[in-house]
Amino acid sequence: MTLAATTTAPGTAPPVLGAEHMTLRFGGVTALHDVSLDVRADETLAVIGPNGAGKTSLLNVFSGFYHPQQGRCFFTGTEITGKPTHEIAQMGVARTFQGTHIFAGMTVLDNILVGRHFHMRTTIPQSFLYFPWAHREELRHREVVEDIIDLLEIESIRSALVGALGYGLRKRVDLARALAMEPRVLLMDEPMAGMNTEEKEDLARFILDIREARHIPVVLVEHDMSVVMDLADRVAVFDFGRKIAEGTPQQIQRNPAVINAYLGASA
Amino acid sequence: MAMLPSGVFAVRYAQDRALLRTRPQWVSLALFMLLLALLPHLVTPRLLAIANLMLVTAIVVVGLQITLGYAGQVNLGQSAFMGVGAYAAGVLSTKWSLPFLVTIPLGGVAAALFGFVFGLSAVRIKGFYLALTTIAAQFIFHFAVLNLPVSWLGGSNGISMHPARLGGIEFSTDVSIYYLFLVSCTLMVAGAFGMMRSRTGRAFIAVRDDDVAAGMTGIPVVRTKAMAFLVGAFYAGIGGGLYAYYIRFISVDQFNLFNSVWYLGMIIVGGTGSIVGALLGTFLIRAFQEVVTSIGPLLAELVPWLGGDIVFASMNILLGGLIAFFVIVEPDGLMHRWNILKASYRLWPFRY
Repeated sequence: MTLAATTTAPGTAPPVLGAEHMTLRFGGVTALHDVSLDVRADETLAVIGPNGAGKTSLLNVFSGFYHPQQGRCFFTGTEITGKPTHEIAQMGVARTFQGTHIFAGMTVLDNILVGRHFHMRTTIPQSFLYFPWAHREELRHREVVEDIIDLLEIESIRSALVGALGYGLRKRVDLARALAMEPRVLLMDEPMAGMNTEEKEDLARFILDIREARHIPVVLVEHDMSVVMDLADRVAVFDFGRKIAEGTPQQIQRNPAVINAYLGASA
Repeated sequence: MAMLPSGVFAVRYAQDRALLRTRPQWVSLALFMLLLALLPHLVTPRLLAIANLMLVTAIVVVGLQITLGYAGQVNLGQSAFMGVGAYAAGVLSTKWSLPFLVTIPLGGVAAALFGFVFGLSAVRIKGFYLALTTIAAQFIFHFAVLNLPVSWLGGSNGISMHPARLGGIEFSTDVSIYYLFLVSCTLMVAGAFGMMRSRTGRAFIAVRDDDVAAGMTGIPVVRTKAMAFLVGAFYAGIGGGLYAYYIRFISVDQFNLFNSVWYLGMIIVGGTGSIVGALLGTFLIRAFQEVVTSIGPLLAELVPWLGGDIVFASMNILLGGLIAFFVIVEPDGLMHRWNILKASYRLWPFRY
């Protein structure tokens, strides 16, 4: 990204990720109803809403894990609706998970190296012979991974088994793995859930670092309002599968529909 | 992570990745390989025959370890995959008189393709259901061999083979076969180490631990699962081909479901997700089997009132009991126990 783009006001760059009139149903339940949403190249977009509002479903549609019945998804101008998850990931959509979806049987280092998988080229026969070429590729990607380890301050646990780590550190490894993919957009599903205040502060700092140092737009699904108000450039509010509001944090705080959804209708 | 002695630090990434990091590790490996190389001169012919069987089984079990221990795909058809390799090598060698340097890899390829077909079912089903599907591989193999025209695969008569030849060497004695197997086994094990510590192995483990996250990290989950079957079956096929040249007679009964279960038992005893564990499990179970089969007749002879039937039945119970014992006491296998032991030795006299 150019310097000029970063100095303009956030939220004015072209969209990297977008949904158009998207509807997702599970049997009789409508998880997403006619949702249109754009994520711009220079912003942190927070997606908020009460439980069951469709926030995680939205991320799952963007990742290709769910396929919407109606509407389309775009990533940097290319339609991604119906593509398999690994292809969407390889195009540059990375995500972190609610709870931990981490490879518990691997070390922290190997977990992050999995994020490099589709950047690497060694084939099965090549790895069988483990010729210098395969070895050199491993070392080259190790350097990339070490940069991320530095950024997220997990040097001391790099050779620990992830299964043996605490919750906060696992989430950090999850984020590291997503960053290793060198994504062009990062989807984060409730990164702060279940963390204590210090862990939240650390993670918030990392999200800001990622934005400053790597210029990766972030879609943040989050329940913690103080985090959302501090980190997000724009906020989209969901309720019962519909997008009910969108705007800057200040606008959202004053929006009657949002207050309604969270606190119930005033009589 | 494997614990290193204190004072051993890597200063380059290449050092950090190395499998052998200290001089004692290198020396132990060298001594071990030397021992293996001298084995024919140290043991009786009977023990050497057992060693041959262990080496060829080790290749098959390392293959199963890749499919099951690393990629997490249950496979109860490894013995059938081995059989496909053996039959492919047998037919290519007897009908087309191809040299064994060609037939062995082609046997591996044939088994890999057979395994790949069943790997495709792993795409849709998991765990118990996948186990059933791979048992189907076992029965399809059996059925196909017995019911295809006798001129193709020998039917119930089996196939008799000529010994393997390389230049002027004929692998017809236990000693020559031993060296052939030792070289093949070393090559396949080294290959397994190479695969499992690089991109391929990480993709397998990722799919095993969390296939949703693996997909969203850019790993084609479907392809990876099928590849795990392909690679595992390739190992079985190589092992099967070598076995065929050793026994020089192939019949369908040599590759039955019980063998598949035994291979699984070797993985459980040795430890899932470890190549060395697969080797250890193969060694222990094969040794135990041999002890039991030689004690059985001896016992029946010494204590005639027990009756032969009871002795042989109880030997199987004993073997089954051993696996049950491991599942209950050390489900992570001996490698896990070994790692704990190593760590506590390094830390001694401190607790952590």
